[in-house]
Amino acid sequence: MSIEPSSLHGPAVVVDHVTKEFKLYRDRRTSLKERFTKRRPSRYDMFKALDDVSLEVPAGSTYGLIGSNGSGKSTLLKLMANIHRPTSGSITHSGRISALLELGAGFHPELSGRDNVYLNGSILGMSRKQVDAAMDSIVGFSGLEQFIDTPVKVYSSGMYVRLGFSIAVNLDPEILIIDEIIAVGDEEFQRRCFDHLYELRKRGVTIIFVSHSLPLVQTLCDRAAWIEKGVLRSEGPAMQVVDDYIAVVNQSERDRFEAEGHGRSDGDRTRRGGGEITVTGLTFLDASGEPTLAATSGEKLTVRIAYQAQEPIDDPVFGLAFHTEAGVLVSGPNSEFDHAQISRVSGSGYVDYVLDELPLTPSTYLISAAITDRTLLHVFDYRDRAFTLAVQPGSSPDRNGVVTLGGAWSTAGDASKLDVPTVRSESLR
Amino acid sequence: MAEIWQYRGLIGNFASRELKSKYKHSVLGWAWSLINPAATLLVYAVVFSVIFKASPPPAQNGMTAYVLYLFIGLVAWNFFNNVVTGGMASLIGAGPLLKKIYFPAYAPVIGNAFSAMVQTLIESAVLLVVLSAVGNAEWTFIFVPFILALLLIFASGIGLLFALFNVYYRDVGYLVGVVLQMVFYATPVIWPPSELAGRTHGALALHIISVNPLFQYVEGMRDALWTGQAPSLSRWGWMVLAAAVSIAVGMVVFIRGSRDVSEEL
Repeated sequence: MSIEPSSLHGPAVVVDHVTKEFKLYRDRRTSLKERFTKRRPSRYDMFKALDDVSLEVPAGSTYGLIGSNGSGKSTLLKLMANIHRPTSGSITHSGRISALLELGAGFHPELSGRDNVYLNGSILGMSRKQVDAAMDSIVGFSGLEQFIDTPVKVYSSGMYVRLGFSIAVNLDPEILIIDEIIAVGDEEFQRRCFDHLYELRKRGVTIIFVSHSLPLVQTLCDRAAWIEKGVLRSEGPAMQVVDDYIAVVNQSERDRFEAEGHGRSDGDRTRRGGGEITVTGLTFLDASGEPTLAATSGEKLTVRIAYQAQEPIDDPVFGLAFHTEAGVLVSGPNSEFDHAQISRVSGSGYVDYVLDELPLTPSTYLISAAITDRTLLHVFDYRDRAFTLAVQPGSSPDRNGVVTLGGAWSTAGDASKLDVPTVRSESLR
Repeated sequence: MAEIWQYRGLIGNFASRELKSKYKHSVLGWAWSLINPAATLLVYAVVFSVIFKASPPPAQNGMTAYVLYLFIGLVAWNFFNNVVTGGMASLIGAGPLLKKIYFPAYAPVIGNAFSAMVQTLIESAVLLVVLSAVGNAEWTFIFVPFILALLLIFASGIGLLFALFNVYYRDVGYLVGVVLQMVFYATPVIWPPSELAGRTHGALALHIISVNPLFQYVEGMRDALWTGQAPSLSRWGWMVLAAAVSIAVGMVVFIRGSRDVSEEL
């Protein structure tokens, strides 16, 4: 039976009605002389970085903080790490905090890597004995065995952050606070970092981090909080919070494009092209040929592109692009690549793109439609993500990812009896 | 207090970081820690014993070598001076770090005080060797560590106060420089108090000047190292009281005032 850490210890961090205000000075008195010579009191505005935020981070959970730049995430992180004091409200933690707000922040350039490990360890509240015990794993993890006794000032920036990260995660943290810093180091080191974070998570370490990488938050975090302009907008399971966030970001982006009057009306975010022939609409037809607003995963779908030509056009190419809401291009078929000859069009009409089994998993997709000349260089009309396709769950049980690959599973019995070499997941350690 | 003990490793590391980085990549390395005070000593000795003809009271063995008399005073003064001025620089220097990681803000200041202590111990060792060589060794040498410990506490309290003020008002540093220079001449480092005693109103002036706690620490050192007598009870009383008041006020004000120091740095 597995023991739920949270039920044992309760929350690791409790943020209780926390408000944080910073003084924004217009003319800052930084010297005594000014204090005595200027009559008027120092003028400043109060800036509310956080406004009455309350949340609990369960012990042993991985917790993400998301929001746009300047929303107050990092301020909250600094308050949690005890670096700043809340203006009102309180923050309580149970467990020793290891904060990674900047890798290698405590390094002294003239000292060797090893001396800096001791220095950094003691800043994080460790005794020399505890650092000694972790020294081998720190050096090993950083991969800097060769350079550990040279001054860190000769380190490359990559080496610098590797050592910093190694110290923070190998010093047996109880609560680990990370500020958007995993995106450092080379691919191999990054993977090692994630491996290690999973390891810490398994051991019951509470991890709190700020990230702008939403997929990372969704995969790594149990729970998340979304902060916007200092206010807690949403808090709960990471999946749901990220979805809420994306939905609002998309909406505001659409609003912005509309306000800026991009494209030629009809709400397109960007519409460009010569206009000799235009896409007038996109219709989705279900298996029975009836127009539909929501397609079904795994079933037949016809995408009908309606056009209006101002003049006869020779050899036009019709194209579509399917995007996820997060902006990932899933596929971009066009009639040229698919060797579909459309010799000459004039007036109005339509072109169909037929999918026998829609491979998209249930979600909402944004679709672009375009018409270009045969060289694909001259764009007649390009409507970037102007259309929305909702895909409902169908017969296929696939729910992960974006597309259904449609493969089949089979078992060959005991793998050791197989003649063919099996593919192993490569060990990263 | 418990927190200071918990962060003793950090304080120690700040001290060793200061010491290690100070003389790294200099050809003479640690020798610099002696060359600087030696140069000061030489200049003062020449100016005051040759030009101004200062004559200290005779030492326990009867010698009146002004340069050694001055040496004792300078060791005590340099210690105080390094703790106070270095403390201000160390807190400003720890600023970027304090914005990234939580640790008590007094740690770099106290760490600096200990690194100054190490420097002073080296100077003291040289001093003891020289004094023994000229035949002025006395059992009262054992008082030196106690006097230095009290001076460390006294200077740390003052250092904490100035370090904190300096964060909020950066010209405190310059002001402290001016004030320290005046205090230097108000303390019998380069002049023997006996010179004053014989002048008109000398006794009164001496009374006023001896209120300065540094007067007591410097003269305490001279008692133990020069005249070879135990410092008087009233002198001990002054030294203990000054140390206790300084560290108490310094700590309380610093801890109250440093809660938002990470925003001001």
